[in-house]
Amino acid sequence: MLRLVLRRLASLPFVIVSVTFVTFIVGYLAPGDPILALMGNQRDPALYERLRDIYGLNRPWHEQYLSYLGGLLRGDFGLSYRFAQRPVLDLIRDGIGVSFALGLAALTLSVAVGVPAGIFAALRQNSAAERGLMALMLGLFAIPSFVLIPILQWANYQVYRAVGSALPAAGWGRPEHWVMPVLVLSAASLGYIARLTRANVLEVMRQDYVRTARAKGLRETRVRAAHILRNAALPIVTVIGPSVAFLVTGAFVVETLFAIPGVGFLSIQAVGQRDYPVIQGTTVLLALAVVAMNLVTDLLYMALDPRIRVDV
Amino acid sequence: MSERRGGGFWGRLASNRLALAGLIVLVGLALAATFGPGLYGQSAVRLDYAAINSPPTAAHPLGTDSLGRDTLARLLLGLRVSLLVALYVEALNILLGVPLGLLAGYWGGAADFLVSRLADILFAFPGLLLAILVAAIFGPAVTERFGGIGRLLLVAGALSLVSWPLMARLVRSQTLVIREQEYVLAARAAGAGGGHILRQHLLPQIAGLVITSSTLNVAGVVVNEAVLSLLGLGIQPPDPSIGKMITDAIPYLERNALQVFLPSAALLLIVLAVSFLGDGLRDAFDPQTRR
Repeated sequence: MLRLVLRRLASLPFVIVSVTFVTFIVGYLAPGDPILALMGNQRDPALYERLRDIYGLNRPWHEQYLSYLGGLLRGDFGLSYRFAQRPVLDLIRDGIGVSFALGLAALTLSVAVGVPAGIFAALRQNSAAERGLMALMLGLFAIPSFVLIPILQWANYQVYRAVGSALPAAGWGRPEHWVMPVLVLSAASLGYIARLTRANVLEVMRQDYVRTARAKGLRETRVRAAHILRNAALPIVTVIGPSVAFLVTGAFVVETLFAIPGVGFLSIQAVGQRDYPVIQGTTVLLALAVVAMNLVTDLLYMALDPRIRVDV
Repeated sequence: MSERRGGGFWGRLASNRLALAGLIVLVGLALAATFGPGLYGQSAVRLDYAAINSPPTAAHPLGTDSLGRDTLARLLLGLRVSLLVALYVEALNILLGVPLGLLAGYWGGAADFLVSRLADILFAFPGLLLAILVAAIFGPAVTERFGGIGRLLLVAGALSLVSWPLMARLVRSQTLVIREQEYVLAARAAGAGGGHILRQHLLPQIAGLVITSSTLNVAGVVVNEAVLSLLGLGIQPPDPSIGKMITDAIPYLERNALQVFLPSAALLLIVLAVSFLGDGLRDAFDPQTRR
């Protein structure tokens, strides 16, 4: 167990170095001179040199990368180009909380609805209800968020016309602002989790110990509660990692279309302002969040089931 | 000699109705994207101030958007963009993924190590993140220097960056299996060189896998191109893109819902057609796994 944890942790530096290095190189190769853009109409060579020094751009690339990496370890994501010399972390600090809360809410909803839906479908295998439910889940998994958003908003508008009040179309700050973004963000992972849960439960139902439990005369409710569901619940933990990857891409679209000031929205705004350090910072941050989430998932899985050997 | 599949393959494909429907829809969409804009003749960027957010009329068969631009013309061009990007991405995936996957799978050793680590590095970025980063940072300069075509190629390149490693891994694992087959060992024992084994045994066997997975991958690419474009990182206005058409029309949803749902429907049509065709191709290439 400890060795597995250590091996898993040992692969972490490789991922961190990959993500930061690729992100750094892309930013390093970014066309145009950011300092000239920063100076606007100023043409003072002394100021130019001083700014280059502040941003570390006068040093060779490997020194720049090492100091970038060193900064990341201290939680320093560098300086913004657009907002003269403000630390990137300052600009996105509030966004991190917003994105995290939104992602957590979406993940909670996906698990809270997806798992029971999958169990229900498996226990009612080959019924019309199962087929309908699974078709719906496949639809939720497959429909792109930017198609789901207008469908929801259109439905919302119809409710408004009928009742006279409805959810806000976009914005952030009040509890009702959460409803549509969380629904959209959770759709793909909800469908995914439901389908996987169904497959898991069906797999467990075929096991010998379930047949044995029935053969020795246990009541069906007890077979289901004690044997099927307990064993099927475990692998569900593993899908949380991949689900978080869906959430990251989804966050860009959902935050942008609902005007939610999260990391994704701030990053897309920075694109318009060509503020590369902010884009790089959010990229590294999101990639590392997914890595951390995958690690937690694996560790949780191993802790829950000592028989499991997660491939490292 | 590898087994000739000719008639058997097409027969199996044609007997799968969904796959056949997917193929027909795709061919139809490709023809519409290629010849439609020229045949239709209306400008996709001309602003008709007399018909802002217009419902379908004689002058504008599918209505207009919030700037009075003709929706049918924009949809046809947007379709062309989606399919072109998908074509470029799959071409890049095959050009990069197949040789590197073969190299890693057949020769192993250092080649395998390098290719696999490169794939790992690119996979370290979740989802579209790397494509978003690349399109965001190089987008403005590429558009300034090379215009719309350059931007389209950049989008394709960025999307390929997150999908060619999948192709390489797929080809690598398949090559590892084929390499150990007895007929390959026999060929090698009979003195066949690497090139002969590659042409006679490996390529014919992985061709089906490559075609199937490329087809299925188109669904994801089309959606991802729309995501990049609606985030402002893909195709730049006034050029139409299906993703941008959807987001541009969302603020006018109450008055003109058609402008949102037409491009959404076009996108879903591509995704469904490609998925059905891909499933059919998989079954046709490999009848044993047929359900």
